[in-house]
Amino acid sequence: MDVALSDTEVVRRIGAGHDPEAEGELCRRMAPRVRLYGLRHLRNGDAADDLTQHVLLTALEALRAGRLREPEKLAAFVLGTCRMTVLDLRRGTRRRERLLEQFGADVLSPTHPSMPQLDHTQLEACVQALRERERTVIVMTFYDERTGADLAGFLGMSEANLRVIRHRAIHQLRQCMGATA
Amino acid sequence: MSIEPGSDVVDCPRPIDAAVLADYWLGTLAQPEESAIDEHLLGCDQCGTRLREVMALAEGVRSLAREGCLRIVVSDAFLQRARENGLRVREYAPPPGGSVQCTVTADDDLLVGHLAAHLSGVTRVDLCLCDESGVEQHRLRDIPVRGGADSVAYQESITAMKAAPAMTMIARLVTFDEGGSEQLLGEYTFQHTRSLPGPGAW
Repeated sequence: MDVALSDTEVVRRIGAGHDPEAEGELCRRMAPRVRLYGLRHLRNGDAADDLTQHVLLTALEALRAGRLREPEKLAAFVLGTCRMTVLDLRRGTRRRERLLEQFGADVLSPTHPSMPQLDHTQLEACVQALRERERTVIVMTFYDERTGADLAGFLGMSEANLRVIRHRAIHQLRQCMGATA
Repeated sequence: MSIEPGSDVVDCPRPIDAAVLADYWLGTLAQPEESAIDEHLLGCDQCGTRLREVMALAEGVRSLAREGCLRIVVSDAFLQRARENGLRVREYAPPPGGSVQCTVTADDDLLVGHLAAHLSGVTRVDLCLCDESGVEQHRLRDIPVRGGADSVAYQESITAMKAAPAMTMIARLVTFDEGGSEQLLGEYTFQHTRSLPGPGAW
């Protein structure tokens, strides 16, 4: 019988002893989440892949050793590991090589959820259908990810108002593109 | 006992709004809020999926901006960054009441008309795009205009203009008085000539 395990139960199983299935599930489950963290904070796909591998290795090492005393705090633990690993990544690769030797790379094969594919023509129509200020805000914001005072100044509004317009435009775009949540 | 793939996909009790996820992606949140979202995403695939949708939307919009296919009012800073990013910006600046001969080439990425006008004190400006007879074909309502600015940078769809035959387009900037009547701020005539092979008329 297949049973849906929570993150907490997966952590407990890994801590209880040799359990390749639980370790594989932890990696399958956490890799996309860690990679997303990497994309957000490192802004680079390759660096995000490196981060993912480092974090999973470190997490497995800690979980096997039972160092996570409160399994329900897995997300907080992984977040701390992500932050430390970003620092580690800048210090060199020796520790990574040692851990790879210890655990093997097969369990860490990255699983990337594919990015949603948008209909370009539909998106163009949706962007063009926005009101002028919303279109300008959304295009100039996402073109080079600038959101601050220069854009607010150009639009003659406060940064708080800019945020309101950006939020409204994102909701309208998602609705136009068929997003449900 | 085996582990069911996808067993972590459960309804999120505290879903993060897509617009807030966009703020997170753009790095505009305060540190405590950003950290809270970092942690939430490390335990929630549903919100992670929504973030990926926002990221795809951002990339799609960025791509549209690079293609220059949108009709949009832009800032000088935006044009400067586009140039710095290697985009070739073709620009025309007809005087108010005047006209300019214009074209686009295959190498151009963005097409921009600079429309000079006295914009001090105006609260709403519309940009009307008219045919050669002056008949309005399209209107951009309440365009973003910085207080005290002396011009509007209007980006025309370069995709459309690369396909367009020789034609004349008249742009008008208008505002409204207290009674709601339209007041002309400036009129600009663009006489487009094809420099790419293609049809002589639509």
